[in-house]
Amino acid sequence: MAHDARAQAFLPLTPPTLHTLVALADGDKHGYAIIKEVARRTEGAVRLSAGTLYAIIRRAEADGLIVETDERPDIALDDERRRYYRLTPLGRRVAAAEIGRLESIVEMARAKKLVPRPKSV
Amino acid sequence: MSGTRRARSWAERAIRALLRAFPFDFRADHGRALEQTLRAQYREATERGGIRALFRLWAELLGDVVTTAPREHLAILKQDTAYALRALRRAPVFAASAVLTLALGMSATTGMLAIVNAVMWRPLTVARPDEIISISNRTGGNWVSYRDLQDYRAATRVLADAIGFAPRAASLNVDGAVERITIDLVTDNYFSMLGVGAAAGRVIQPEPGRPWIDDRVLVLAHSYWRSRFGSDPRVIGRTVRLNGTPFTVIGVASSRFRGTEPLLRAAAYAPAGTFDVFNAGYESTRSPFEDRTQRLFQVLARLNPGIAIAEARAELDVKAATLARDFPVTHKDVSLRILPETHTRPTPELGPFLWRAASAFAGLAALVLLITSANLANLLMARAAGRSREVALRSALGARRGRIVRQLVNESVVVAVLGGLVAIPIVVLAMQRLRAFVAGASAAFTLDPDFSVDANVVVVALGIAVSAGVVAGVAPALWVLRSDVADILRSAGRGVTTHIGGAVRSTLVVVQVALSLTLLVSGGLFVRSLERARAIDLGFDRNGLLLASAWPGLQRYDAAQRLAFYDRVRTRIAAMPGIETAAWIQFPPLGITGDTGAVAPDPRPSDPNWRPPIASKAVVSPEYFATAHIRIVDGRAFNDRDGVASAPVAIVNETLARMFWPDRSPVGRYLIADDARLEIVGVVQNGKYQNVAEAPLGAVFRPLAQIAPGFASIAVRTARSLADVGPDIRHAFTTVDPDVAAYDVRSMETHLDNGSAFFPFRLAAFMTSLFGGMGLLLASIGLYGMVAYHVGQRAKEFGVRMALGAGAADIIRGVLSQGGRFAAVGIGVGLVLSAGLAQLLQGLLLGVNPFDPVIYIVVAGFLTCVCLLASFIPARRATAVDPLVTLRAE
Repeated sequence: MAHDARAQAFLPLTPPTLHTLVALADGDKHGYAIIKEVARRTEGAVRLSAGTLYAIIRRAEADGLIVETDERPDIALDDERRRYYRLTPLGRRVAAAEIGRLESIVEMARAKKLVPRPKSV
Repeated sequence: MSGTRRARSWAERAIRALLRAFPFDFRADHGRALEQTLRAQYREATERGGIRALFRLWAELLGDVVTTAPREHLAILKQDTAYALRALRRAPVFAASAVLTLALGMSATTGMLAIVNAVMWRPLTVARPDEIISISNRTGGNWVSYRDLQDYRAATRVLADAIGFAPRAASLNVDGAVERITIDLVTDNYFSMLGVGAAAGRVIQPEPGRPWIDDRVLVLAHSYWRSRFGSDPRVIGRTVRLNGTPFTVIGVASSRFRGTEPLLRAAAYAPAGTFDVFNAGYESTRSPFEDRTQRLFQVLARLNPGIAIAEARAELDVKAATLARDFPVTHKDVSLRILPETHTRPTPELGPFLWRAASAFAGLAALVLLITSANLANLLMARAAGRSREVALRSALGARRGRIVRQLVNESVVVAVLGGLVAIPIVVLAMQRLRAFVAGASAAFTLDPDFSVDANVVVVALGIAVSAGVVAGVAPALWVLRSDVADILRSAGRGVTTHIGGAVRSTLVVVQVALSLTLLVSGGLFVRSLERARAIDLGFDRNGLLLASAWPGLQRYDAAQRLAFYDRVRTRIAAMPGIETAAWIQFPPLGITGDTGAVAPDPRPSDPNWRPPIASKAVVSPEYFATAHIRIVDGRAFNDRDGVASAPVAIVNETLARMFWPDRSPVGRYLIADDARLEIVGVVQNGKYQNVAEAPLGAVFRPLAQIAPGFASIAVRTARSLADVGPDIRHAFTTVDPDVAAYDVRSMETHLDNGSAFFPFRLAAFMTSLFGGMGLLLASIGLYGMVAYHVGQRAKEFGVRMALGAGAADIIRGVLSQGGRFAAVGIGVGLVLSAGLAQLLQGLLLGVNPFDPVIYIVVAGFLTCVCLLASFIPARRATAVDPLVTLRAE
């Protein structure tokens, strides 16, 4: 993996921030949807509170990791007052860099036999 | 259904209320979205989960707000502070003048805080200092006898323990090098009750089976161990001599421990059982461990956990009542004063002088801080006015008003905190000087208040700085909030001097001038008081007198040895070249300590209601009156025949003579003083004895040879200077006894300056003048800034007027009259304020009319000149404007 200095500057991310970025990886979402997505994917292990989420959004917006988007999936389906957020290319790189950082830690732990290797990759 | 709707609307309101905990910006940016998310969560919980899910949601929500909201506030504060710092860096002149203004005001405030902290706030450096209370006697001396202390200690329900200690001056001889130090005589349980351990060796501790310890052992204070012995651990086990008696050093107290009196500094601690080594001139045959009339100990006690001081007071009052019943003669009206230790400072015998002085100066410092705040507000107003276009533009571009106001206030707080930070090192230095000054002024014990600037002082000072910043920042911020954006933009770069802003700023300048006039007038009153005090006839000739003190009683000399010492030293000094005369006096007049007592004629007046008056008492050698140039108006001076073997005699002053024998000569009559019947042999002119403001006070002089006091001072009349003759005087003492060093070798002028005569007046004059000067400086900066700002605003107008033929003199006159108007109103208000303050100060002034017109006129005139000068500089600049340049800019 190429060393992405600009993305590296944001590391490490807090787990809630990483979850938020990952939740946005496959499409724009509004706040409530992010909370639900994170809860569903982690089987309820990570429960983002609304205040924490918007604090994260606020910072990620200021840092240019996500942007608010004007596109709505379907006005009829959705409450028009909702705000949708989209992962920026920088946000994507930062999330990837964080995942890479976590992977290297996992790799190190495996080499030291702290955790077993998965049977097949 | 309507129930559900009601619940929902309640929930919405609750959600909105919770959102208010978030910072303004956060709400503005994400409040709606957040609210919606919460609403969605709420809907889901009610639809699916029922009561439990709802309960969980609310609990989560509350926890969320509590953790997230403060973090967001902090983030915004950080951001704003960075913004303010950037803005200040862009305006270095404004930043520097604002920070320096604040530093000036804050150093006065912080200095006072440091003093108040040392005197009143700082707890003792012992274990759990909040449990420590002081027990003292309200009647018959502050202190407590050893036996009484043991009775109070027995109140074990309320008290964990109680200790006694007594400071004593002592002469310490380490391998021939003699130094006078302060020793605390302590009860055996002193260190154990306080929870103070040893840094080296061991401390004094009770020993089972012994009622009290009388071993000649010594525990050094940590600071003394460092300064005198260079922290050498080998000093433990060594033998030193205290007042000629060998003592073994057994340890050094913990480095944290600073003793049990915040203003005095003991060099070492010795067991109370060794009291006989330190009882200078004390001839009682009864042991102070048995005799309840010997109230030697200051007492501190430790409350049991959970016991309130009121409970302890109730229980100890019962003990005191029992004592009063059991010992009706000595304890008839015993009454205890039981207070938290911090409330009994400074030590009782110093009186409340320091406390009062600290409160008064804290008031003055508050005035200086007020002027400072007004000045800062003014600077900020000028800056806000200058930046009004920037602010208006940002506002037009969508920046929120609330945000702009917060940034302005924040900027002012940042300035205030920076000012406070600049002030702290200044104060640290000033306090070191003050500490040295106080330590130098002391006589009997080592006065050493810890004026250091600690965390408490810094926290409170920064708190005050922040409040001053908020107060100063609010006015310009409100003004920005109120002014109309469109108006400002239309006024096209001229800036705005809206009436609100202009009026507030003028008021601030007027307030500054008024307050600084008030400070200067009180300074003037105290300076006049000092002059008056110095001009008072003291009844002796203070010029050409030197003093040196010694304490031969510490050497455990008996009376004859003491007299021999005094005589030999005096003979030696009197024989030195350039010395006219020399004489001993126990307490030189108007020192910090003196002696007074009741005197009565013998026979007493027949009137049964007659009470003996209080008179000043002095013990002098025969040459004293000649040396001090005190006139003998009747009878004779003492002579060498007034000795131990002859009848006790006295000399009185004219006031006492007239009081007791209005129409006859008192010579040959008798009076009773100190339980002795004294024959009066002479009358001397009146003088001042205890303080310069005293009403004519009776005085009784007794011959040195009939008293043989344990300590005394020699007064030397000479034309030679102190620097010249001082070493010879010191040498005369050590030649007679190498263990008795002369201390406080000083001129009579210095003695009067540092004693009760002039010290309070000097201190008051110095502090009020200092604060007055600070106020004046600040006010003139404020006025200058104000006028300069107006001149800048009107530059174009001046240009036009000059182009139309107005002369420089006209312009200057116009600007000066504007500055003059502020000054005149400020001075007018200030005169009224000063008269009010002077009324309050009346009791502290000496022979000065609080409404002395000369002072008011001089101060007002001086302030007028300063104000005109502060306006003249910008006025001159106004005339330097080239009319063509300004017109072309239009």
